[in-house]
Parts: sequence; C-alpha cells; structure tokens
Amino acid sequence: MYIVDLACISPQHTFSGNFLSGDPVSHSGTQYEAQEPDYKGIISASALRRMAKALRMGVGAGAFLLNRNPKPDGIVFGTAYGGLDHCLKFLNQIVEYNETTLTPTNFVQSTPNNIAAQLSLMSSNSGYNMTHVHKGLAFEAALMDAMLFLEEDRNRSLLIGATEEISAYNFSIDEQAGLYKKENTTSASLLISGTPGTVCGEGASVFMVQGSGSSGYMAKVMDVAQLTYPEMPDLEETVHTMLRKNGLTPADIKGYIAGFSGDARTDFWYQQLNDSLFPQLKPVAFKHLTGDYPTASAFALWLGCQLLHGTIPPGYQKPDGPVLIYNHYSGIQHGLILLDS
Amino acid sequence: MQEVVVTGMGIISAIGTNLPENRQSLIQGKSGLRKPVFFQSVYADQFPFGEVDSDDAHLKAQLEGVSSAGLTRSDMLAFIAFREAVKDASLTPEDIASRSTAFISASTVGGMCLTDHLYNDANRTTTNPEFLFSYPAAAHSLRISRHYKMKGFSDTINTACSSSLNAILFGSRLIRSGRVERAIVGGTDSLAKYTVNGFNSLSILSEVPCRAFDKNRSGLNLGEGAAYVVLESAEAARKKRKYAVVKGYGNACDAYHASALSEEGIGVVRSMKDALENAEITPSEISYIHTHGTATENNDEVESRGMIQVFGDVPPFNSTKTYTGHTLGAAGSVGAIYTVMSLFHNELYPSLHFNDPIEGTNLIPCLQYQPAYPVRYALTNAFGFGGNCTSLVFGNA
Repeated sequence: MYIVDLACISPQHTFSGNFLSGDPVSHSGTQYEAQEPDYKGIISASALRRMAKALRMGVGAGAFLLNRNPKPDGIVFGTAYGGLDHCLKFLNQIVEYNETTLTPTNFVQSTPNNIAAQLSLMSSNSGYNMTHVHKGLAFEAALMDAMLFLEEDRNRSLLIGATEEISAYNFSIDEQAGLYKKENTTSASLLISGTPGTVCGEGASVFMVQGSGSSGYMAKVMDVAQLTYPEMPDLEETVHTMLRKNGLTPADIKGYIAGFSGDARTDFWYQQLNDSLFPQLKPVAFKHLTGDYPTASAFALWLGCQLLHGTIPPGYQKPDGPVLIYNHYSGIQHGLILLDS
Repeated sequence: MQEVVVTGMGIISAIGTNLPENRQSLIQGKSGLRKPVFFQSVYADQFPFGEVDSDDAHLKAQLEGVSSAGLTRSDMLAFIAFREAVKDASLTPEDIASRSTAFISASTVGGMCLTDHLYNDANRTTTNPEFLFSYPAAAHSLRISRHYKMKGFSDTINTACSSSLNAILFGSRLIRSGRVERAIVGGTDSLAKYTVNGFNSLSILSEVPCRAFDKNRSGLNLGEGAAYVVLESAEAARKKRKYAVVKGYGNACDAYHASALSEEGIGVVRSMKDALENAEITPSEISYIHTHGTATENNDEVESRGMIQVFGDVPPFNSTKTYTGHTLGAAGSVGAIYTVMSLFHNELYPSLHFNDPIEGTNLIPCLQYQPAYPVRYALTNAFGFGGNCTSLVFGNA
C-alpha cells in the first residue's frame, strides 16, 4: 500500500508545515490541544458551525486531500469516539430535560461514521465507506481494511485517516479512570517524568493511498499487525513474524517510532522491544508533541512518512531503511506498522 | 482466494434467546414487539420495542465465569450470542484463542445504555466508578477478547445500522485474503435512552408495531439483541457442517444526507449490484431478499425502488424488523442469521403487519410461512445513517 499524499492536524503546526521547518509548540498540563487551521476554502462556514472538533479536524484534513487528488475508490476512517462532545451534549439534554424537547442535530452529528460519511457526501463519493471504532486499534484496523481493499484490485485508491478530539467529557471519564498525570509536566519533561499517567492529545491524520506505486509516492506501508492484552513474548513473536513475512530481520529495521507517553506504568513495553530487538536504534518518540489518544499511531505514520520522504524536522534523522512504528493504548491494545521508502 | 463458509451462529433477540427459539418465532409469525418490561424511558408507554425478554440480573446469571464488574447489557447480550456461535461451530478454546482466528464485532450504543451512569461519570458527579471503562463501542469486544484470551486480529466497526453486516463483510475479506482461517463476526446493541431519544427527535419512531413496506407505515421500532456468526475458510471447515457460503458483498455510500437515503437510492443500488457482481451471479439467481425494511417512510420507499431497479422482477422478500424491531448495530448480523436460516432450511418467513403495498412500487412481501421453498442464493441488506449501505449474498454450501 503506497502513501501518495497526506495531511495532519495536531497539537503541532503540522497542517501549515511550520512544525517541519523547526517550530515546535511546547505544551504543558494534561491537555495538548490541536493547532487547528482556518478551514476557509475547505469546509463551508455553515457546515463548520455544526461540526464537533473531531469531525472538523477529520473532515478538514480529509477534504484538503480530496480537493487536490483524483477521486479515490472509497473512504476509511478509524476513530475511537468520533464527535464525543456532541454525543454527550445530547446525553446531557436527555437527562436534564427528562427526555423531552430534543433536537436531532447533536444525535446525527455524533455518530462516529459521520466523518467518513461527510467526506463522501462533500465529494460525491459513492464508493467503499467504512468506520472502525476499535479504540486504541481503530487506525490499525482501518489500515488493514485499506490493505485488503487495495490487494483485491491494485488499481484502486483510498482516502484513509483517523481523528480524535479532547472533549470535556471523555477527559473527565478517562481522568477518573487514572489515565492522566496528577502533577504538571511540559513537553520537555513528559517523557522523563517517571510517574504514572500521561497527557491527553487530539488530532487528525489522513492519507491518500493506492495499490500500486508506479508513480511518485512518499512511503509504502508493508504490513500492519496488532495484539490485545498480550504478554511481552507475544509482542516479540508478533514483531518477528511480521518482519519474517516481509523478508526482514530486526537488523534491517533502520527507524523505530515508539509511542512513549511518559506513563511509568506502560512505557516499559517500548523500551523492552527496543532493547531486545533493536538495540542499535535510538527510538523516535512523538507523544511529547501530540499527547496520547487512541488513534495517535496515525500521527506516528504521518511522522514516519515525513522522515522517510518528506522534510526532516530539526533534531530528527532520515532512516536509511524500513521503519517500525509501535504504539499501544494503556498497555492493552498494541499496534505495529511496518513502513518503507 | 479462499471460499468463506458459515459454520456457527448465535443470536439473542426479542424473539428468542437462542437460535432454535428465533427460528420458531419466525416460523410461527410471532413478533417480539411490545411494551417494554425492563427498559426505562418516558417513551416506554408510547412506542413498542423489541426488548430481549430478560432483565440484567437474569442475563448476568447465565454468564458464569465472566467478570461482572462494569458489565453492561450490550456486553451481556454479546457474550450470550458469541458463546452460542462458537459452541454451534464446535470451536475449541484453542481455536477461539488462535492467532488465525479474527474477531470483528460492531456496536453503535456500546455502554451508552447506562445513560445515567455515563451522565454522572462525564459530569464528575459519580459515586460509583465501576463503569468508567464500559462506555466505548469497543468495550464489549475488548471484554470478549480478554475472556477468551483471543490473540488474533480484532476490530469493532460502527457504520450505524449497517455496522454488523460490515463486520461480516470484513471478516469474509480477511479469510479470502488468506490472512486468517476463521473469523467470529457480528454485533450487539441494547435499548438505550440515547438512541430512543435520537430516533424520536427525528420523528421516525412508530407508535404501532412497524409495518414494513406498507403504504401506511409509520416508522420504525427500536429493538435490541446480539448476533454472531463463525466464518471459516472452506479448507478449515472441511469436516464441519456448513450452513452457507458467503458468496459476495457490496459496500457503498449513498453520499446524500446524514440521516436519509437519496430518492434514486444511489448507495442502495450500488451495494446490491456490487454484492451480486462480487458473488458472480445474476440478479435472477437470487431466490430471496432479506431487506433492511425498517418501515420508515424513506427507507422502504428507496429500498423498494432499488430492488426494482436491480432485480426488475423482485424475488420474495421480507422484513424481520417486524419481529425484532431495529437492533441498530446488531441488525446486520441478526438479519444475516435469519437469511442463512432461510437458505439452510429452505423456508421463507412471513413479514408481519402488512396490509397495502406502497403506491408505485406495488411490492408485496412474503406474507406466509413457506416451508420447502428452495433458496439457492439469498441477499441481505443493511443501510445506515451517513448513507452506509452494505449488501451480502449467501449461497448454499
């Protein structure tokens, strides 16, 4: 599967490109908010007003790519929650008004499949349309879906992506569940904090992919794999199997992008895989830039593409060979993406 | 390409807590739509619902060995149907846990059935943190994965009302590609204030048991349930009973409106046509259509016209939502199981509450139980908000 174009809205200036030219945004606290572009020319003002943030970012980044590429054969998105903010606004109304006088806008806007659906509507695309909501593996599932779809016909192309928003509601629930740090950290100190919990991020990363790489492309997704509730040996075995299947050994991997989140309870996964399989590599972390959220691996893929082909942000190096992206959500769902130039 | 066969099924709905009970209700034309006994809402008296005839305590009591903390009704229904499906397919614990077994589920409501808990947790007025991990659509899949120690590919899909038919589609594609030998696929949804109020705000809930394809239909009834299907490669299932073959599938987007289908039925027609093409059969080879048939003004009109456009002479069809109500995220796999039952037992089930055909289409659904009706190929539809249309073709094994 070949990535031919991409766009990203994140807590960094990734959409404008300033991040790549060396202008990182430093965040502090437990919410890393996206640096959203002005959507003028991408989403109409009237549509924009109705959109929840997850929808706005996903549709904004997606429509930007649809506008400048040939019409794809379908649209596939991964999102754990979609427009949760709208969803809970509707829920609040149900409870506070005792199930009366509700308007459907929030209900209709809140369904996670609304992002891929809106994009197909805006671009009159009646092709394949799918939304994966498998929490920390929603994007990896979207990638697998896309790989199958393109394997079935190499001439096909797809728009794929992921989006997630910080809403007051999911932040409240996840904070009570112990996901986030109690103390204040900054982008500079998050990954070396050594304490439990991480910080919450958000963003949308979208990609135009096609089944053949005859024309210019940025990177090639060689494979995707995933595990749920694994033990460490399961993870190592899965990586070995994935590499073997693609004719590679751990020594062939030249870049290791890992989802270190600063959570002392679960960062050992990344370090241990690094130590046991790729001791020669210095891991590339990214959650000090983006915060953590269920589809953060889509940002990692965006970053991987930039490192392999695009502009290398200051402080990063171009890997001279395949890149492995390893990300997990809360240590429960683990995803692996194998990328090559 | 690996051929995909159905080797096991499990279902719980308003018309039965297992596969044989569901079939008996269909044969007898016994609808499950009624005033809800357990579901609490100010609308409980106003609309009929397709409620599973069991309270949470009784459902939970059937799930010995399943960790009950934070368990929601959506989770319980999923566990019950999943367990029946894997047993029906004679899967061993090792088969279920195997890396070559995928698990693809679907849900739209997830743990949002706990409206008041969710309200309190989201607004930080909670006194009981039990359900903090229970709300996402994927919560039930993660629980099942953990309980059965599943190591294979897993996923949860939400394309609104076509979610679990897309789970079957995705599982079939994984098997066809050779990536897995087996996929346990389906979906679950329970009645929730969230969806009742959502559909009510769109004024598409019917105050009478839904009259699918009737000229005077007045909307849909919401239901609940879970249904899972075990798909295996023909090679892996060599020595097993096979209910049916997954012949083909189509997935298309209507790309028209967030909560209504286009008059021309762009997505509806394309998903049916693509499914037939993928199955490599002609429209005239379809013996039976299990429709989406929600009984809303919009759906039944567009689906009827779509069937006429694709089939010309429309084969026998019915809407089983007249029995179960619209089970949303579970509707696709509930419908797929009823479709496979018709195919496997060579019988057609009556569509209920029908009097007069829609003007201009004049389509009349199957109104009587027809045993010994040969079904060679059957098509089933599921259409969702956002224009997410999916069709599947099953054939005799």
